[in-house]
Amino acid sequence: MSTPRHHVVIGSGVAGNQAAETLRQRDPESRVTMITVSKLPFFNRYDLPRVFRGERDWRKFVIYPAEYYLDNRIALRRATKVVNVDGARRTLTLEHNETVRFDTLLVASGASAYMPAELAEYQPLMHGFGAFRDAIAAADALPKDGHVILMGGDTIGLDLGRTLLDVGYRVTVIAEKHTFWPHEIKAEERPLYIEALAKMGFEVIDGHARGEIAAVRAGAPGLAPRRVVFHDGSEIHGDIVMPFFGVAPALDFMLGSGVDIERGLLVQPSLRTTNEAIYAAGDVCQIWSDADKRYHFYHGWKNVRAMGELAARNITGADEPWVPIQDESLQLSADGRIRSPFWEYA
Amino acid sequence: MNKTDIQIAICGSAGEGTIAAGDILRSALAGAGYRIIAFDAYPAEIRGFGKCVARLRVTTEQAYSLKEKSDVLVCLNDDHGIPHIGEVRDYGAVIYEEKSIVPLAEGAHVSAHILPGQVPYPVPIRELSERTTGAVRSRNMVVVGYIAGLFGLSREPFYKIVDAKFKNKGSVAVQNRKAFDAGYDLGAATFKLDDVQFGAPGEMFHATMLNGNAAVARGCLDAGIDTFFGYPITPATTIMEKLASEMPKRGKRLLQTEDEIAAIATTIGAGYTGARAATATSGPGLALMSEMLGLGVMAEVPSVVFVSQRGGPATGIPTKTEQADLNIALHGGHGDAPRIVIAPTNVDGCYRCAGKAFEMAERYQTPVIVLLDLYLSNRYETVALPAKSPFEADSDKPLAKQDLGAGYKRFAYTDDHVSPRALPGMAGGMHVVTGLEHNELGRVNEQPDVHEAMSRKRHEKLKAALSHPDFTVYKRFGDEGQVDVGILGWGSSFGECLEAMFLARREGIRCAALKVVMLSPFPVDAVTAFLDDCGAVLVPELNYQGQFAQLVQAETCRPVHRYNRVTGTPLRVEDIYAEVRRLALAATRKAA
Amino acid sequence: MAPQPIYLEEKLKEIQESGRLVYRSKAMPTWCPGCGYFSMVDGLPGALNDLGIAPKDTVVVSGIGCSSRFPFFVNTYGFHSLHGRALPVATGIKTANDALTVIVVGGDGDGFAIGGGHVPHAARRNIDITYLLFDNGIYGLTKGQTSPTSAINFHTTTSPYDNLDQPLNPLLMLLTYGATWVGQAYAGQPQQLEELMKEAIAHRGFSYLHILSPCVTFDKTDRTYVNLGELVCDMPPGHDTSNLSAAMALAMDTAHPALGVYYKTERATLADNFEEIVRRAAGDAAAKRATG
Repeated sequence: MSTPRHHVVIGSGVAGNQAAETLRQRDPESRVTMITVSKLPFFNRYDLPRVFRGERDWRKFVIYPAEYYLDNRIALRRATKVVNVDGARRTLTLEHNETVRFDTLLVASGASAYMPAELAEYQPLMHGFGAFRDAIAAADALPKDGHVILMGGDTIGLDLGRTLLDVGYRVTVIAEKHTFWPHEIKAEERPLYIEALAKMGFEVIDGHARGEIAAVRAGAPGLAPRRVVFHDGSEIHGDIVMPFFGVAPALDFMLGSGVDIERGLLVQPSLRTTNEAIYAAGDVCQIWSDADKRYHFYHGWKNVRAMGELAARNITGADEPWVPIQDESLQLSADGRIRSPFWEYA
Repeated sequence: MNKTDIQIAICGSAGEGTIAAGDILRSALAGAGYRIIAFDAYPAEIRGFGKCVARLRVTTEQAYSLKEKSDVLVCLNDDHGIPHIGEVRDYGAVIYEEKSIVPLAEGAHVSAHILPGQVPYPVPIRELSERTTGAVRSRNMVVVGYIAGLFGLSREPFYKIVDAKFKNKGSVAVQNRKAFDAGYDLGAATFKLDDVQFGAPGEMFHATMLNGNAAVARGCLDAGIDTFFGYPITPATTIMEKLASEMPKRGKRLLQTEDEIAAIATTIGAGYTGARAATATSGPGLALMSEMLGLGVMAEVPSVVFVSQRGGPATGIPTKTEQADLNIALHGGHGDAPRIVIAPTNVDGCYRCAGKAFEMAERYQTPVIVLLDLYLSNRYETVALPAKSPFEADSDKPLAKQDLGAGYKRFAYTDDHVSPRALPGMAGGMHVVTGLEHNELGRVNEQPDVHEAMSRKRHEKLKAALSHPDFTVYKRFGDEGQVDVGILGWGSSFGECLEAMFLARREGIRCAALKVVMLSPFPVDAVTAFLDDCGAVLVPELNYQGQFAQLVQAETCRPVHRYNRVTGTPLRVEDIYAEVRRLALAATRKAA
Repeated sequence: MAPQPIYLEEKLKEIQESGRLVYRSKAMPTWCPGCGYFSMVDGLPGALNDLGIAPKDTVVVSGIGCSSRFPFFVNTYGFHSLHGRALPVATGIKTANDALTVIVVGGDGDGFAIGGGHVPHAARRNIDITYLLFDNGIYGLTKGQTSPTSAINFHTTTSPYDNLDQPLNPLLMLLTYGATWVGQAYAGQPQQLEELMKEAIAHRGFSYLHILSPCVTFDKTDRTYVNLGELVCDMPPGHDTSNLSAAMALAMDTAHPALGVYYKTERATLADNFEEIVRRAAGDAAAKRATG
């Protein structure tokens, strides 16, 4: 009797979970292990703004009950960080000094918030939004009717902003080049969208006009707890400051794996990397496009989920190419409000 | 007020301070005003790598047993922790060593086994210990601190315990405080994802935390024990150890004898002089004592024997619990040898039974066996002991005083069948006590009428013990009147019976539980009345034979259902409840 | 010089006036006529009387056997316990009440077969009791079986092909166990027996008196009065009772059982040690109070 194949999935987001489920269905005898740095089982990141509506029980965010993992024999390893992948030996090393052998590996580790180097030193004064605990911390720091400053304002941040406005907070967006990321907007259309933001209730400050953000500082006595200082010397005050400068692939642990990397893991349309046992899906990978002869990132939960499923199918014997399924263009609705396809998840 | 009901388990090897961590945790939480039930499991090996598990249940309401599921598990050691992951409930916390210093094979780390419903808390336990104390041996203090920090407990009760525990050990207390603080700070800063909530202790429960054996020792001391004789045997030894340190402070004497035969012989020798004397042993020792207990019966000499049962027979399983020595306690030895046998059901009961045993031994001039078991001996509970001893200093029937003259009859027939004693040193009371059948004077006599009369005297005098003052012979809990199912329990496992009864009542079953503390003489009227109130009766106990069930059936001529386990571990509340439910359903079906 | 005549009336008067009769019970000994044990039941009252120890302050403890019936024949407190268990019962009595004079009486089977495990511990603890061991080399109460001190080739009902087991040497054992007073007497020399009993009881610590006796009923061949009378001898001149090696050498000469004190020494008794422990515990408690 041969030992069952061991499929390892790194990441427990939309891509990773879709992949794990597909692997289980298509290869019933195999072992499926999902490894994640998160302490929580899979929850939908897009649901996180609900924290600001007072929903603070993480159990209400979780997509699957605990039995799902047991019933599907998906070994869910949480609070576990992969520090190295050895593509030749097909092993990966966990930070706590355990080695795990895999037959196939799917990297679906996603992306983490991008922080411009010049602002990195001010990070302790900012509130992140990557994990459940970050959302709780931000909500805890925000007084009733408080004022939130969104730096940049990518689609994740603007989505949060919509909720914050709805709940009654004051929200300022410091618009700069990452605003609306990952949507690519023509320069001439940009004022329309900025105007739309204002129509939606955001207070918009033109960061570029003020010489870009220079620093984030604690507020002085008698003032709000935080201030954002611009290079022109002006500053604005708020209760919390949140960076939304887009995201960067989370792939440090792949640097020694031997697979090709540019900004993300480079994969064929089959989602296979340059190692035949290793695939990638989601925000962590750049997919080769035969049409325009370059690698593309694809975002949005529908795309990401489709990638997870495709990678799992190809790992288990299919040979199908990636076809994006989601339109990524930003639109203005008839009433002048912004609509991002990435917000359509309800 | 938030009701608190939290069970914490700490797993590790014997050398990792696992039991000490449990001790500090339960002591501090008791000091903070919570109620505690705690029971540790550890291997027979003295040191080394044997697996230890310290478990404590922390409550604001009175609880009677450990819970099936723990709310928090601490793994000081991957190998020993992994098998226990399953006992943590969903949304409970698993705290473990974040990193291994040696490379691990796949699956050898605790994190590989944490179930999807549980909350993982990796903690750099070793690193914090080394950073704060320069050594790894304070890992246990780091985790105690981490728990306190994570659950927002006050540091003060922990400092108090640490300072007291390491008082005479130089800088150790300071080092341990540092390790505790490092764990505490990290725990307090940790984002809490479990749903384990410590409510305020509420109305301060002013209690002492003792295990069953320590409570026995306290009972002995409060009853004014004069002499103690013993031979080391698990799990009774700690009674002797505690008394060895405490009795000399009161000018009293303790002797470690050469074997159990000597232990009971010295005890009876001391009892013969009028001293309050006791010994403590386990099943193997009781077997050796059986003949001498018969002499105690025949010579009508007071003696108290504490028996902490363990797994048997022969050497058996010395470090596991069992209730299989009921038969030998009741009947061990040859001949018609009646004695008083009482079995406390909890730590408070250990104290009371210990003290009362001296009263009864003296009052009825008989050996009294107090039956505990490993689970009760080693189980810690918070108990509120009386400030002043509730025990009589002297329970002897008024002694034959001064010059007794030639007519003194040591074994005189009396209304209550108890004869006034003369003690060595009393003028004119000279007599011989003997293991041979004898007449009222104590002279050897084998006449049929004498043997019958003396046998009657020895049996009948014990019946008064069923109404011994201020002693709970039996007690009923739960629904009054007719019930669907009754649970009849004794000894250490009654706590689980009681919890199962509560569970059954919550599930709509009319249920009552009767605890029987005095097993000999047997409260036959009370037990029969209880059985007649019950549609069906379950007798759960930790032995294969159903020794208590046999006793009950023989005494009451009523059928009972048995539930017997010999796993070496306490009964499980859920298992008892399942039996109760089965009996209740069967009754319903029969009625329909 | 010709022996002086003894007049019965004078002797009775002397005995009555001596006070020793209050130590005798009214029970008639159950022993066979001619039994060596009669000299002992006579010796103990004399010894106690001479020492001035009141009957009410005396406890005679025994096990089971012919000699163990002893407590019934003296008018003191008595504890007729179980076969082999007299020493631990006595240890309990003495531990609980130092004021009592505790005397253990037993035979060779009781003390060195079934009860053999208790002897070393009573001796090493140096508990202040006296152990009178009546050795007739046979089980008499059960009608004549071999005992641990029976001679090789001794013929009994349980050794119909003769006893082939090496007998124990109780004197040598007690010397090595750490008894602080060891002596030997012979039932056929009652005056010396009484003197030795007196000395043993007066000794502060554990005293062991080995008493050679015939069993006139079941041993017609080995330890008869005739044979024992020829074997026993006086202590060698100049025997040093403080010399343990010399005492052991004497004990090993089983062919010539010497009568008298083999060895005596002084060291802390069990009661002394109990008191020391109480003192130490009090110091401990005081120290705790000082730092607390």
